[in-house]
Amino acid sequence: MIMTKKFIGKRIVRNEDPQLLTGQALFVDDVEIPGMLHAAFLRSDYAHARLLSIDVSAARQRPGVVAVFTAEDMGDDWQPGPPLVSPPPTAKDVIFYSRRQVPLVKDKVRHAGEAIAVVIAESRYIAEDAVEDILIELEPLEAVVDLEKGLEAGSPLVHDDLESNLAAHLFQKKGDYEEARSKADLVIKRRIIIDRGAASAMENRGIVAHWEAKSQHLTIWDTTQAPIPIRNGTAARLGLSEHQVRVIAPFIGGGFGPKMMMFYAEEMVIPWVSKKLNRPIKWIEDRRENFYATTQERGQIHDVEIALSSDGHILGLKDVFLHDTGAYDPYGLTIPLNTQCHTMGGYDVKNFTTEVSVVFTNKTLVTPVRGAGRPQGIFIIERLLDIASKELGIDLVEIRKRNLIPPDAFPYEHKIIDQAFAPLILDSGNYWPVMEKALEMIGYEEFVKDEQPRLRKEGKYVGIGFAPFIESTGVGPYEGARVTVEASGKISVATGIGTQGQGHFTAFAQIVAEQVGVAVKDVRIVTGDTTEFHWGTGTFASRGAVVAGNAIHAASSIVRKKILELASKVLETPIDELELDDGLVRVVDIPHKTISLGELALLANPLRGAVEPGTEPGLEATAYFGPNYGATAFGTHAMILEVDPETMMIKIKRYVTVEDCGTVLNPLILEGQIHGGVSMGIGNAYYEQLHFDENGQLLNASFADYLIPSATEIPRIEVGHVETRSSLNELGTKGVGEAGTIPVPALFAQAIENALYNQELEILEMPLSPNRLFELLNK
Amino acid sequence: MQNLFDLAVTVNGSRYEHAVEPRTLLSDFLRHDLGLTGTHVGCEHGVCGACTVLLDGQPVRSCLMFAVQTHEHEVTTIEGLGTIDNLSPIQETFQEAHGVQCGFCTPGILTTVKSFLEQNPDPSEDEIREAISGNLCRCTGYQHIVDAVKLAAEKMKA
Amino acid sequence: MKIEGEYTFDGPREDVWKLVRDPEVLATCLPGTQSLHLVGENEYEGEVNVHIGPIAGVFSGRLLVSNEVPPESCTLTGEGKGKPGFVNGTGNVQLFEQGDNKTLMKYAGEVQIGGRLASVGQRMIDTVSKSMIRQGLGTLNDAIKARAVARAEAKEVEYTPPSETEFAAAVTKDLAGGLFSSKRFVWLALAVIAVILLVTIWLVVR
Repeated sequence: MIMTKKFIGKRIVRNEDPQLLTGQALFVDDVEIPGMLHAAFLRSDYAHARLLSIDVSAARQRPGVVAVFTAEDMGDDWQPGPPLVSPPPTAKDVIFYSRRQVPLVKDKVRHAGEAIAVVIAESRYIAEDAVEDILIELEPLEAVVDLEKGLEAGSPLVHDDLESNLAAHLFQKKGDYEEARSKADLVIKRRIIIDRGAASAMENRGIVAHWEAKSQHLTIWDTTQAPIPIRNGTAARLGLSEHQVRVIAPFIGGGFGPKMMMFYAEEMVIPWVSKKLNRPIKWIEDRRENFYATTQERGQIHDVEIALSSDGHILGLKDVFLHDTGAYDPYGLTIPLNTQCHTMGGYDVKNFTTEVSVVFTNKTLVTPVRGAGRPQGIFIIERLLDIASKELGIDLVEIRKRNLIPPDAFPYEHKIIDQAFAPLILDSGNYWPVMEKALEMIGYEEFVKDEQPRLRKEGKYVGIGFAPFIESTGVGPYEGARVTVEASGKISVATGIGTQGQGHFTAFAQIVAEQVGVAVKDVRIVTGDTTEFHWGTGTFASRGAVVAGNAIHAASSIVRKKILELASKVLETPIDELELDDGLVRVVDIPHKTISLGELALLANPLRGAVEPGTEPGLEATAYFGPNYGATAFGTHAMILEVDPETMMIKIKRYVTVEDCGTVLNPLILEGQIHGGVSMGIGNAYYEQLHFDENGQLLNASFADYLIPSATEIPRIEVGHVETRSSLNELGTKGVGEAGTIPVPALFAQAIENALYNQELEILEMPLSPNRLFELLNK
Repeated sequence: MQNLFDLAVTVNGSRYEHAVEPRTLLSDFLRHDLGLTGTHVGCEHGVCGACTVLLDGQPVRSCLMFAVQTHEHEVTTIEGLGTIDNLSPIQETFQEAHGVQCGFCTPGILTTVKSFLEQNPDPSEDEIREAISGNLCRCTGYQHIVDAVKLAAEKMKA
Repeated sequence: MKIEGEYTFDGPREDVWKLVRDPEVLATCLPGTQSLHLVGENEYEGEVNVHIGPIAGVFSGRLLVSNEVPPESCTLTGEGKGKPGFVNGTGNVQLFEQGDNKTLMKYAGEVQIGGRLASVGQRMIDTVSKSMIRQGLGTLNDAIKARAVARAEAKEVEYTPPSETEFAAAVTKDLAGGLFSSKRFVWLALAVIAVILLVTIWLVVR
């Protein structure tokens, strides 16, 4: 009988906190290297323009300036970034034109803020001064900003070598929508418009590149969620061996998706400059640059149709939509595929056609931002069900209940292709109890029956809403980890993904501690350093805990086995009479017969004697995990809010979430992820919107005008759990990183309509704002 | 080369004498001249609060000040609140209540909270939220931060 | 982005038109003008120091006057570029005799802005530029009145244009007083306003 303490599922405080709390954690801008130079970029003020001429001579002469580079100076090293995600090979009838971002503009500017030249100087201050010395001549061109106009004949072209601004087209179908429609008692058609928002992590992007000619080695510190692909791609671009390049993603101040975008212009330029000058070079983005040069997401226009029977059953769904990809499309069809796979929600929809046209525009690039296309899909289905509920006279809750996928239908095959190139299969779930729990927690029935009528009589506009949702998580391809028992008895673990605050140093340590029987604080995790571990992809799509976590679990299990086998020999006791606890191997019922893990590690790596052929020295294992397909989580949010009828400002009275993400590793960390996601979702729904004018100019590129919610806008969030294990991995976990953001726009729409019950209001757009709500009501 | 100013400032109890350009921001001076990189820069326009330090005990935005404005004054940064082996009560409770995720906004929040609790040792939740409404956090949704401040207030009273 | 407005001067139309043609007067109506010269038929180049909230910098501008019908109307097409961004626009100006020694000026146009001016300054551009136009036209009006007085009393013109500080103070006062409450979104580019302002009254028919 082998027993260890259970660490998984415990609210354990984080290993990484003391460093972060005392200002002793290394972020990219904290890197200081003797002789380091600083970069500043000249960026285009125009969204669409031809670069006629550029004269950097004055900038080069400014005292303190070491070099100024343009596209021409890069010569043959000037290459657009690599395609990051190709279209799914298994999808039929895909049109895809791959156009990727460039290091520095060569002939044409395609979005405001695109980098045209870089100044390298002794300080950032001098570099910025010198940027203003550069003389450029840009011939402004008409900008493509509106998605529909962008596809019309005669529209200006973002990419001149294409015939139109169509970047991609994908048609997917399940069943036969037309047939379903012909049998329907009710068909609802709507146009739904969703607009852009920014991730706005508190830390802007940055990169320090240090090429040392004497050792022919390049070290890069980068605010990236994907250090390994950055290493591999950078080595390729610079003609180096992958082992000559080390990429470190140290502590990162929030990622949320845009830091998963790879080979930003700056990531292509700065390492090149370092190699050219043989000096360390630092570039740190400022907040205004972040609004222009860091990726954004959410812009889509949907023409949707739902066909229902008179008792509220969804017979079929049809969606034709446009997706704004910005000036380039390095990330392929990832976001629209996510949207397509979430438009059916957690419902039993047997007939679905979805058709997306991806459009190039003269705006900042679009790549996944927390939610990554899923919020749009959920917004659509939940809005349609709200409208159907009204038209069919069926209760809002009841119409969902009738359509949710029943528990015995899992794994449920939707057949259309998802962002991981696999057919969409919802692995496991038990949806109704999750939804029911959320409604219970918020007191839905009592509120609607008793409290709301009373408040309405008092003249208050208080509304209640709920929104169920699915979240695809934990996608492959794979991650890996190496677990080692050290002579001190402590455990060291290395994995390829990076960390942006999700508590990897702790949650992963819990997984290891569970297997190997040590204290959580005695497990040291290293993430995001390609020298420590160089196989893997990155932290995105709510997959870190699932994929890396399971790789760590697999590696720890192998180490556990090695420990037990060796201890069994040393203690001359059969394995099943041993237990691992407190850093020791103990013989059950013989308390003094023990050996510490540290001693075992030494024995496994002897200075004399032999290591048996066919075995490995030490107590170490490397393992990989790649799921067949991603696990799908389910949840429901519910909210009570009050709307001020004059100012349209809202006050959220209560906010409830219930989440089923399978096995929970650390409830404290999980709550933190949900709170943070909801807070971002609330921003997405009611406070944040990027406003571009008809010339592609971003009009609110600062926190003064782009409104991130503060502590006074975000309510207390009550978190409930249901656990339905995933069958796709040993830990039974599903991801949850993005869950907080996904249902919030749909939730707001329902709750606000419910609050303003006596108004004619049908919300078919996101984001909203007090201004916009006022406009909608006064149409 | 601009004329340099002979700045003398006390930071976290230690006196520093440096010649600085008048236009050097306090945040840059602390981070790069003094190597105190705990203070973070999030926006450079005074909204996010990550750069908050205490000037003679009062919270200020170091990204909106010039280093020379601190001449002969006292500055406290996060490094002055506690060390890894000797966390202050506020830092301890932030760990207990999981008020830190990525840690980027944290130094600004801790300095703000330190000053706040000195003025209001027994705050309500609403008062806490109001006090930190000038510090943006993108990770935590603020709830665990508020919990941490409440816990700290209780700890410091005892 | 549209700009439009009206202003009533205390002087006959010929006076207004004439003063508009006087570069020295015009330059004083908008402090911050650093240079202005004729470079072609009906074409001007100049530099204006611009300040909107946190955005400050020099704009190099160029203005073309066309469709002149003195002393009634003209069209102005301008572009300005500088560190704070860029501004392009076209506007029409009309002057109407109002009797009782008054002239009504009507102006309407379209303007496009970009760069820092757009992304950080846009919230203030509307109010600030409306205020600056008001101040500028008011100053011009003072000049017109001064000339009328001088003519009547057969004396030298007594007219002191406002200093840059006084001008800025007046604009700030307007802002604080919440003078304007626009119901529609009207984007004003300050540099073009400045240049249009200058030239409106400047009008060269030379």
